[in-house]
Amino acid sequence: MTSTALSEDRVDRQATPQRSKALARREALAGYLFATPALLGLLVFTALPIVASLILIFLHYDLLTPPKWAGAENVTRLATDSRMFKIYWNTLRLTVGVTLFNNVLGLLLAVGLNRAMPWGLRYVLRTSIFFPVMTTTASLAVVWRFLLTQDRGVVNFLIGQIGLDPVPWLSSSAWALVSAMIYDVWKSCGYLMVIYLAGLQGIPAVYYEAARIDGAGFWQQFRNVTLPLISPTAFFAIVISLIGAFQIFDNVWVLTEGGPGDASRVIAMYIYEKAFRGFEMGYASAVSFTLFIILIALTLLQFLGARRWVHYE
Amino acid sequence: MATTTGTASKPVSLPKSYRKSVWLLLGEALLWILLIGIAIIEIAPISWMVSTSLRDPKNSFDLPPDFWPTALHWQNYVAVINSPDIEFMLFFWNSLKIALIVTGAQLLTCSMAGYAFGRLRFFGRDILFGLFLASLMVPATVTLIPSFIIIRSLDLMNTHWALILPSVTSAFGVFLLRQHFKSLPEELLDAAKIDGAGYFRIYWQILLPLTGPALSALGIFTFLASWNNFVGPLLFLRDWDKFTFPIAIATIRGYMGSGNQSEVLAGIMISIFPLLVFFLLAQRWIVQGAAITGMKG
Repeated sequence: MTSTALSEDRVDRQATPQRSKALARREALAGYLFATPALLGLLVFTALPIVASLILIFLHYDLLTPPKWAGAENVTRLATDSRMFKIYWNTLRLTVGVTLFNNVLGLLLAVGLNRAMPWGLRYVLRTSIFFPVMTTTASLAVVWRFLLTQDRGVVNFLIGQIGLDPVPWLSSSAWALVSAMIYDVWKSCGYLMVIYLAGLQGIPAVYYEAARIDGAGFWQQFRNVTLPLISPTAFFAIVISLIGAFQIFDNVWVLTEGGPGDASRVIAMYIYEKAFRGFEMGYASAVSFTLFIILIALTLLQFLGARRWVHYE
Repeated sequence: MATTTGTASKPVSLPKSYRKSVWLLLGEALLWILLIGIAIIEIAPISWMVSTSLRDPKNSFDLPPDFWPTALHWQNYVAVINSPDIEFMLFFWNSLKIALIVTGAQLLTCSMAGYAFGRLRFFGRDILFGLFLASLMVPATVTLIPSFIIIRSLDLMNTHWALILPSVTSAFGVFLLRQHFKSLPEELLDAAKIDGAGYFRIYWQILLPLTGPALSALGIFTFLASWNNFVGPLLFLRDWDKFTFPIAIATIRGYMGSGNQSEVLAGIMISIFPLLVFFLLAQRWIVQGAAITGMKG
């Protein structure tokens, strides 16, 4: 580094054109060098895969024999894949369920935790509710599998204590998806709580003081101060919940293994199984692209719809 | 509030409805019940796991369940660690090694690119940064299949490189750190330049120390994501001696879960114990970090 040249140039802003050109070149060179490692990673493991999967859609490829041109076969097959539609229906129900419960619970828990309480109590409550977020989804799904066993499971024992019949949580098609939903809400609502808590703490206390002086009660304050001012946070939280929920994999893979039958199979599992159990790379790529399009469309729709309900100060 | 203290000398008569009404009390009571009830539900499965992992294996399925240890059968932990078929502590080492390398690499590559995109001017900068932003929209599920083919053609199947290389950088990390670098005052960098600092020194000695909270948040959640990663090992690893904790536990459950619940739970406890300790020590940062970054493990 010719530091003297650099510092002179900075002190004297009226540098000669040649010198500032040289400086700009050096800055550009530094820029490229600093960006290169991340750029390489992005190109090889995100950009290249996207291009590759676009190409794969038009191929038959089973990993062992060389790829064969498939034309639009993989795409037209999507329209007739009734199994995929059923699995999308499961995914949609799971997504709506977990997004709704996680966000409503997350917001209510945040409102509760944001109130005046002894420091120790706040610590215990926050720790208990947030800790499951940190744990491994696949491993805790093993724990929940034990808990939800029909015959000797803890959950059925506990609901038996209050006089209810045992529920076939994992073995009936009516309950398997509900179990996956319960597990996800248990695992993630603390995360949403933390996000909403950060949003609530950003609301200036003067608004609540003003509302109180105007005679607003608890509900009115929640309705007229908290909700409008938390809406940017809620928007962010709902977008990331939806995108995450559409891609749920570990949870169902371990908890119900998609069963019974296809009752709790979700789209990420279907893509994985088509690709790495059935070795239909082309068709699996076509299915994964439907997911991509749905997620993009959903995000755009939300950004458009957000104008109607998100208030920025 | 500093602005209100000055004018608050006059007593304000509050309207009647401000006094605690029945509805207000009811709302507050419900909120407390919800808060405490959920906290119990969140912690019960974990305390059940701790208690059951300490039971004598022959009682491990007995009801009623314990939510507080009634036995201290540490032998389950010893049995898992000394198991003849599987080297359990090897999973610990594998998980730790991969998570540390991935975290270090991401902090370095993301902060370097964040500096370039946030603080340096060069041709094509905004287009390249736009690429990073666009890739935030791409779900991992979509890149799964081509990534597998790439890893396979690089001959990295069944190696830890298959888990490390795809995570060497993250578009999100670049974005996060770029925003933080951009928000630092220009005068600070000018002063450094006047003192003769080169680009690397500005990055290393000025920018990095000033973005501690963002760096630690990114580091914590990158570590967690790697430690908890399940799809990667499921896809790329074949041999037991390469396994990380999540895939090892899901596999162990398959062949010994029905026989010995206590030992499987002891295994899970060992795998999440580092997270528990880490969380209790660094809870403040982790919770703040989750809010800053909008990431989860």
